[in-house]
Amino acid sequence: MKRTHILTIVLLALLAVVAACKKEAETPKVEEGPAPAATTAAIDPATAATVSGKVVFKGTPPRRNRIRMDAEPNCVALHKEPVYAEEVVVNDNSTLRYVFVYVKEGLGDRSFPTPAQPAVLDQKGCVYMPHVAGIMVNQELHILNSDPTTHNIHPVPVNNRERNVSMPPGAEKLVFTFPREEVLIPVKCNVHPWMKSYIGVLRHPFFAVTGTDGSFTLQGLPPGEYVIEAWHEKYGTTEQKVTLAAKETKTIEFSFTGAGGD
Amino acid sequence: MPNPPPVEPDPITSKSLSGPVLVSSLLLIVSLVWALYDEFYGLRPWKNYQSRFRALYSSYLQKLRGQQAEEEEKIRASEGYKKLEEQWRAAREAIAPRESEIRAEQNLTERQLAVLTDLLPTARGLVTSLIYKLETAEGASAKAKLQREVEEAKKGPFRARVPQKDDTLKDVNFTYDELISEYNRLRERKAALASQISELYARANRVQKQLDEYLSERLAGPRASDVERLQSSAKRFNVEIRQIHVLSTPTFGVPETVLVDRCQSCHIGMDANLVPPTVTLTKAALGVDGSTDAPFTTHPNPDLLKIHDPKRFGCSPCHGGNGRATTSVVKGHGRHKYWLWPLFYRENFDAGCQQCHARDLVLEHAPTLTAGKELFRLRGCMGCHRFQGFDDEDEQLRAVQQEILQQEKIRRENELEIARSNEKGDAAATNEEAQRWYRRAQRLQADNNRIDASLEQLERRSQGLLREWKKIGPNLKEVRLKLRKEWIPVWLENPHTWRPTTKMPRFRLDRDEIEALSAFLWQSGIRERIPQQPRGNPVRGKELFETRGCMGCHAVGETGGTFAANLSRLGEKANYDYIVRWIHNPRERTLPYCPYEKRDLTAEDYRKKGLPFVFGPENSRCPNDGHELQIQQMTVMPNLRLTWEEARDIASYLMTLRQENPDSYPAAPFMNDPKLKERGRFLVRHYGCAGCHEIAGYEEEGRIGTELTNEGSKPIERLDFALLTEKAKRGILPDGSQSPRGKWYDHKGFFENKLGNPATYDQGKVKEPLERLRMPTPNLRPDEIKGLTTMLLGSMDPTIPEQFRYRPSGPQKDIQDGWWIVAKYNCVGCHQLRATEPSVLMTLPRYQDPDWKEQLPPPLVGAGARLNPDWMQQFLENPALSESQLDRNGVRTYLRARMPTFNFSPDEIRKLVRFFQALSSQPLPYVPPKVEPLTERERILARQLFTHPAAPCLKCHMTGEPAHDRTATAPNFLTARERLKPAWTERWLLDPGRIQPGTGMPTGLFRREGDRWIFSGPTPAGFRDYRGDHSDLLVRYMFTFTPEEQRLLLGRMPASPGSGSGEPQGKK
Repeated sequence: MKRTHILTIVLLALLAVVAACKKEAETPKVEEGPAPAATTAAIDPATAATVSGKVVFKGTPPRRNRIRMDAEPNCVALHKEPVYAEEVVVNDNSTLRYVFVYVKEGLGDRSFPTPAQPAVLDQKGCVYMPHVAGIMVNQELHILNSDPTTHNIHPVPVNNRERNVSMPPGAEKLVFTFPREEVLIPVKCNVHPWMKSYIGVLRHPFFAVTGTDGSFTLQGLPPGEYVIEAWHEKYGTTEQKVTLAAKETKTIEFSFTGAGGD
Repeated sequence: MPNPPPVEPDPITSKSLSGPVLVSSLLLIVSLVWALYDEFYGLRPWKNYQSRFRALYSSYLQKLRGQQAEEEEKIRASEGYKKLEEQWRAAREAIAPRESEIRAEQNLTERQLAVLTDLLPTARGLVTSLIYKLETAEGASAKAKLQREVEEAKKGPFRARVPQKDDTLKDVNFTYDELISEYNRLRERKAALASQISELYARANRVQKQLDEYLSERLAGPRASDVERLQSSAKRFNVEIRQIHVLSTPTFGVPETVLVDRCQSCHIGMDANLVPPTVTLTKAALGVDGSTDAPFTTHPNPDLLKIHDPKRFGCSPCHGGNGRATTSVVKGHGRHKYWLWPLFYRENFDAGCQQCHARDLVLEHAPTLTAGKELFRLRGCMGCHRFQGFDDEDEQLRAVQQEILQQEKIRRENELEIARSNEKGDAAATNEEAQRWYRRAQRLQADNNRIDASLEQLERRSQGLLREWKKIGPNLKEVRLKLRKEWIPVWLENPHTWRPTTKMPRFRLDRDEIEALSAFLWQSGIRERIPQQPRGNPVRGKELFETRGCMGCHAVGETGGTFAANLSRLGEKANYDYIVRWIHNPRERTLPYCPYEKRDLTAEDYRKKGLPFVFGPENSRCPNDGHELQIQQMTVMPNLRLTWEEARDIASYLMTLRQENPDSYPAAPFMNDPKLKERGRFLVRHYGCAGCHEIAGYEEEGRIGTELTNEGSKPIERLDFALLTEKAKRGILPDGSQSPRGKWYDHKGFFENKLGNPATYDQGKVKEPLERLRMPTPNLRPDEIKGLTTMLLGSMDPTIPEQFRYRPSGPQKDIQDGWWIVAKYNCVGCHQLRATEPSVLMTLPRYQDPDWKEQLPPPLVGAGARLNPDWMQQFLENPALSESQLDRNGVRTYLRARMPTFNFSPDEIRKLVRFFQALSSQPLPYVPPKVEPLTERERILARQLFTHPAAPCLKCHMTGEPAHDRTATAPNFLTARERLKPAWTERWLLDPGRIQPGTGMPTGLFRREGDRWIFSGPTPAGFRDYRGDHSDLLVRYMFTFTPEEQRLLLGRMPASPGSGSGEPQGKK
């Protein structure tokens, strides 16, 4: 009899310990290691350097797929011309449009103020404007619906929290912020499967998206060594190391190769 | 002269002590003898019982053996037995030659094996030791040498003298390998021979088993040979303490002894080791008829023991008494003041059941207890006395509301925690850490989603509980609408003289109390108007009253149910308009009650919010604050879905039921006296009227009586016998007569006298009127007092080990819960639920007529096997099975009796469905078996069967043709697919009489041929080469029956008579 009692007590104690351990395991541990030596010195505009260049496309530009919006007559009516997918757009000067170029490494722990100016993502003619954009963490992203139809705005991030909100025609603008760095967050509309946009979220303002001439400029960088990465939704990423002296302006070139290139 | 030395007394006295010694030794001897006597007999009364039993039992067995032997002889002489015996003999003879062959070979094989078994160990020892050397040797050459040695040794020779067939011995030289293989061969052969023998015997054994069964199936009681064995064990009978150790459920594999019962030391016939269950000992059989001191019988209820094995349960847990005491009957039975749990008296034996079965309302083996509990419920004792499990909807409602608050609090906390976790995730240093926080938020969100779902259920439950909550008596807020004013004081004076069977007990009220109470009730009644109704036709009303099913609950005169009020004098007291509305829909309420505002809402409340004054199941929220309203009368009376015309007819009939002219009731002007109202209000609270009635201002009033859940274990000192204590101890009853069982200073005595006359313990006391005992006189018959006393005696906080208390889960719990609902709404008024108990309607004179028998509502014995639970749920919700056509039965439209709408709560429906399914051992949820679709050919065949003159299914079953359906006596086949279960349907087709004795559906439609059922009538030509089962074919046809198919069949049928020949009214 006594023995069973002792056994019970021991078992209970064990259980209690296990339970306690579990409880601990439940709350995520916050790693409060010493912060890495921060290079937090403010950037001196007098010594700021610039990196610029362009993104070259090699090979035969693929044919752009035409988007059929027949399922949504409201959108069809908004386009006089045929609409083409913006996945791969090669400019006339053989450069690649919609490439997100940004400083990947080299800024250390510098922190940058969140811009007060919001970024805007418009839904117009069942197309996202812009197709690729960069914003800073916690910068407001204003989402507009200029269409006479209902969209849903559905960013699918990996590091940030996922949301999916319906926007009827004439809806108030939606304000999204993304608190965590992420390159890049795809945004889609479940109603109109052809709609796609990409939002790069960075902790610093050194990013650019190539436009009709395929060029980019990152300015105001403090002297130092940097890894610059170029991201394209179809062709992936490529990076380059750049060392910038004070006030230096460096030109670099990225290239992506399509099918039929070498 | 020196003084002579004083003469000292002689130290050696001659005084004799032999006298005292003699006396002492005599005393010693006497006390020794006494002690020895006491040791062996005085304190061991069971020894005497056992010796007596031994003699009685032995002579009984002797007699029994003779009887059984005689019986067996008769059976052995019967034709059937002889035939089997012949078969057996033939079988034995047939195998004899082959058997002796096998036996001879078996013998030889065994002898040969014996020789080899002797030799084998030596040989194996030699070889294996050499092999071991080889294995452990070092160096290649040594190994090679040893290898050779092993081979040499294996050559042997190993000599044996092996027995031969002709009984000679032959010298054989084996090599080692030969020896092993020969040994194995012989072993295999031995096994093969053994199995040949058993194969050979298979048939003979089968016949022998049949012989045995033939005998035992026809012989009542034990075999003579068994009795003989019993006799010899009875001869070895030891006079000794016989005890049962009741063990607890083992904890860590070790059970503890929780109880020792030695009852069987005297009640020796109950010892299953001595008297097996096949032997029944009665006083008559033992020849001790009439003796009150012969505790030798076997247990009178062996079925009960099957589910309560005394080896596991002991005796005293059920019966009470002191199981350890063996020194006297009084001590063993615990009937003295030092034992708190005396043996229950015979008429209250069922009390023992209540200890563990407090949650059960219906107990098959405890009729007295079941009757007592049913009465407790029916009379509304729980209106004043809390008793766990009885009418606790109000408590449940409070618990659910508490739970809602609790859950809402957790949800709020979770929400805050989710926000905090997300914030921490947003600010986290690494993505991994951020994900951990986000996941935590997601988990909490999942928790909250579950809480949302649970809250939704709790809200529904709370809504449902408001619907389930009933009052035993009528709503007294509506007295002005319902009652003749002058009747009220007459009723309060003594309800039993006005209506002897009423539930309402008689309160001991003074004249001024009656006046004050009447005045308060009248003046606090609501003054709304209810619509005036034109007169109806009382003749038609009487017919409707007697056929719609009203009499399942209500009686007029002596005829009818006792569940609800006897309506014999309704016409004297009631207002016609109100009764019409009540019959049309008893749940219709004049004003909704808001439990939050604690008042009845009026049209004014709705008007202020700009809402129409409409409330009901769809509009059950308070317009002022959104709280759930009580929107129906708190009565169990269901809605029979009658037309207004029918309601008027029935009400007109009921208004004719009078004994006296109501105008002869004395005028009661005091009822309008506002001065009396306040005193009346006080008295309503004082007497606890609101326990049973809804009364304005007392809707939430608690119970005024003592809680009775554990009344049986209340210490006797706390039962107030008042001035009767001494009388009770001396066995004098309150009326001065002698108590038949002597002193009654115990729980039984207290309860019986209290229930007989609750004022009894005020006898002789000098008290202010308001200090008098308040419990009213319930007007109980002696058997009713017995039932209630039994229930109260067993209602104790039992000392019985926890493990024995019946707290089932799963289907057993479903059955337990279901009976409460069944009793609450009196399902047994119309439906038979147990094979042994008829419904009320079945006992009424009208339904004794064979044609009216077909008009009885369907019996529900085994309904769970018949009905699809999903359908059942729909049906219970809406028995009309229609949203628009309510004035009908959903299935059997031809029945005059109407299945009413009970407005069950979802929980009640769930419990009822589960109850019926559990009673028929059907698991839930129901997964219907796949019914093979018919081939085109099968469909044609099935049609032929269906319309065959020998199986005129559509003559009795409804077809959808109104003229035919009026005279039909069975449901439409179109309902089968959703309503029935296919397996039951097939069993029903094959033998309906077995499932429902007395049914109109005939047995013998199919007969067995080989392994299938075929139609008994002449089969249509197409069936000649159909190999399938005909009953199965019909079932599949029914389960794929469509309205189109039905129309097609009707087109083919010979014109239906439909002339109303089966009309029960015609035959009346």
